[in-house]
Amino acid sequence: MSAPQSAEQSAAQSSVLRPGDERERLRARCRTAVERAIDAGADEAEACASANSGTSVQLEKGDLQLARVKESESLGLRVFVGGRIGFASTNQASSDTSLAQLARDAVTLAKLSPVDPSAGLLSGSRIDPRPFLDQPRAWDIGPERVVDWAADLLGRIRAFDRRISVDQGAVNFGRGSSAVFSSIGADAAESDAGLSASLFGMAIDGDEVGGFDSRGDYARNAEGFEARLERLAREFGTTVLANLGTGRAQTYKGAVLLAPAAVLDLLVEPLVGALSALAVQRGRSAMAGKLGEAIAASAFDLVDDPTDPELAGATGADREGAPAVRTPLVEAGVLATYLYNARAARIEGRASGTGHAVGGPRGVPGIGPHALVLGPAKPSDEGQLDFGRDELAPRLGRGLLVGRFSGTVDPTSGDFSGVAKSARWIEAGAVTGSVGETLIAGNAYEALRAIAALSSRTALLGGRCRMPWALVDGVSVTAG
Amino acid sequence: METHPDPIDLLSSALVGREQGFVELRLHRKRQRAVAVEKGRVETAQSTEHTGVGVRVLEEGTFGFASTDRLDVASIRRAIDQARAAARASARLRTRAIDGMAPADLARGRFEVPGFAETEARSLDEVLDLVLRTEARARAGANQVDSASAAYSELLEEKAIVTTDGARAWLRHVRPELRVGAVARSGGELQRGSRSVGVTGGWECLFRATSADGLADDAARIAVDRLRAGYPEGGRKRVLLSPALVGLLTHEAIGHTVEADFVMSGSCAAGKLGQRVASELVTLCDSGASEYADGAGGTLPVDDEGVITGRTPIIERGVLTGYLHNRESAAHFGVAPTGNARAWEYQNEPLIRMRNTYIEPGNSSFEELLAGIEDGYLLDGPANGQADANGEFMFGTQEAYRVKDGVKGPLMRGVNLSGRAFDVLDSVDGVGREFRWDLGSGHCGKGQPAKVDAGGPWLRCQVLLGGRG
Repeated sequence: MSAPQSAEQSAAQSSVLRPGDERERLRARCRTAVERAIDAGADEAEACASANSGTSVQLEKGDLQLARVKESESLGLRVFVGGRIGFASTNQASSDTSLAQLARDAVTLAKLSPVDPSAGLLSGSRIDPRPFLDQPRAWDIGPERVVDWAADLLGRIRAFDRRISVDQGAVNFGRGSSAVFSSIGADAAESDAGLSASLFGMAIDGDEVGGFDSRGDYARNAEGFEARLERLAREFGTTVLANLGTGRAQTYKGAVLLAPAAVLDLLVEPLVGALSALAVQRGRSAMAGKLGEAIAASAFDLVDDPTDPELAGATGADREGAPAVRTPLVEAGVLATYLYNARAARIEGRASGTGHAVGGPRGVPGIGPHALVLGPAKPSDEGQLDFGRDELAPRLGRGLLVGRFSGTVDPTSGDFSGVAKSARWIEAGAVTGSVGETLIAGNAYEALRAIAALSSRTALLGGRCRMPWALVDGVSVTAG
Repeated sequence: METHPDPIDLLSSALVGREQGFVELRLHRKRQRAVAVEKGRVETAQSTEHTGVGVRVLEEGTFGFASTDRLDVASIRRAIDQARAAARASARLRTRAIDGMAPADLARGRFEVPGFAETEARSLDEVLDLVLRTEARARAGANQVDSASAAYSELLEEKAIVTTDGARAWLRHVRPELRVGAVARSGGELQRGSRSVGVTGGWECLFRATSADGLADDAARIAVDRLRAGYPEGGRKRVLLSPALVGLLTHEAIGHTVEADFVMSGSCAAGKLGQRVASELVTLCDSGASEYADGAGGTLPVDDEGVITGRTPIIERGVLTGYLHNRESAAHFGVAPTGNARAWEYQNEPLIRMRNTYIEPGNSSFEELLAGIEDGYLLDGPANGQADANGEFMFGTQEAYRVKDGVKGPLMRGVNLSGRAFDVLDSVDGVGREFRWDLGSGHCGKGQPAKVDAGGPWLRCQVLLGGRG
């Protein structure tokens, strides 16, 4: 913990810096931290720092519950000493003295760790931010505007239908910068700012409480945000109202129709976890040895696209300062690559990774995608909530539509089992009503090969990724 | 809190001149030490610290929150001013003013859960040795085990809480946990087994019920056994739930629906106080203390509003008797706060969260409970879970054993189960006499993480299983 600061120091750090100035300040902190680590005995060192601020207005019980202003800053330092790793992180590293202590802590941890011949960094170089991460458009937005948007969102929900209860939600504005600097050349920094909104709740009609649903949206541009709130309120309201009046599904094994959120949870996230090169190297990936093989139906094209400015994960550099580029993961059903950070790359003797180190200053880098896009990158038309249902339900004919999946997917075996939420029953290609207490089970990796069709358009899921609807065969449905 | 001799004095000084209305200051120092090993390699050996002051004000009928990571009077006062400005900005658009903060038994003085000093003093060498040894043992557990992992972490937390209406408390506790995983291979098939333990307390408490070696052996055994296991049938079944799964049931199926903020939004528990919602064999509580056995992972002597915690009955002999409250919801319902307001870090505002949730033990032996199942399953090994507003819950299990005529059969693969919370509790026809906390590792998520625990005795009831057709 650092020594208490003077009021003048605190005041000076409270003003909002311009993006470029903030990045330079963080780069300087990282550079100093790395120098202190080398001074303390590290062979190699890497520092990652972030500074974030913003306003969040929490919605609860159908009202504005709490307005929060936030400011935070963290720095993480990873060191290697003789093939041993140590990592220390703090939000109390505002002085050079505290950085030196952090460096000593990390080096001490490393000296106690066992030797790992593959431990270490990869050499890097300076990476400049993408244009939209150099001067973010939404950098200066005051708390009053965020409060207005939150009230606007609630008003739209109330106007849509008084039976809708918003249990929790939020409208957030956040801005921040991050920097990575290593002793062997990595040097990347970028800034970002965005708006997000989320809703979680249900419809209540007399004594009946419907199943909940959650929806979110994200934008890097304040222009048109009201229209996005309108769309969010409409989609959320339509879904939770349709969750009322649940009937009973039928038990069967066969095809089910998955909405985009269920496609992400059931098919894509388990697969992406299995594509981690570390998972492959450690013997816990079902995708080991399958590079170049067909692992999914031929309609399945999965790309990680950190260049897409509409996706929150867009970035020019990964957590280790390596370039983050558009990377096809599965092409026409064929596995194209595994995902690497520096550690996984070094284990295989590769000179570089694939730019998929993820995480922040509070932990060692993991492996993961930045911005996933499945299927055609063509977004759905505005206001067409059920675009994929209308396209694919006729092909299903009769069976279950899964709006969300609430359950467990074992990433190692691919086995899944859980409840179909916001579920509908389909007869003759049309929805007949909502169904409850319906469990589905199967295997995610078998389901990838059993995809009968993907919708021709994709949905933007909370700004995280673009996913289509999918018709998948071979799923066990148990009706309660 | 080493650099300031008395954090309560620091917070009290910051309040001088800013006492109007309700102000709550929480200085929260959170440190974590973590070591993770996979297949013989150290993936991380790390220490982190995140410390700061969270400020919540109630102004013009609404809450404002701000935080600072700078531990000086001027910065804390600036955060108070920011929180007031934020509250005023939203108050103009709030539909209904917050009723106020219910009077409470506010804490004054020092509170400590045993184990902090011992854990803080433990050397990293000892931690590394534990994790390396445990991972190696899991990996050596059987020829078919191809890979294993072990991860240890400990959260050391110190807090000072000062409010304008009288709380002046300092507390500290430590929550260590150990997680072990093993992956077994047969041909192209992979199966995973895992075990974990987490407590509030020191290592003696952590390994009181199960040793690290025992966790490693179990993880390896489950992974290998699952390779040759079949799938359970789906459908509505009579089951015997292990204490860990009873914990998941109490947490997911009931606990979330009785959080008063969720009740005020219209959860299925709204309006049911005083009504029979379960078999009269069922008494279900949430407690800040570790009832029946030491070390429950959600143990908390004082909550983050400065309220002294205790045992909160939710269902007594089948009748719904209470909700879980913070000071705001208690004022709304006209009851005393229950000490359920919790914040993950200094940057987070306190939310209504569970602590240690459990069903009280009954009178039956395990053998009597098993003998009462003609055709069903014994379920164990908790996975993730989730609750819905309408009371529909689901949670996962790692292990399922077919039971025929009261006899336990071979292991089958885990399965998810579901049901309507009150219907399932109403179906309870047997409650065991042995009690165990068994959900102290991992986190509950509700916007923020929270360390909780849950448990109970073996319990017989009817649920919906999602098997393979």
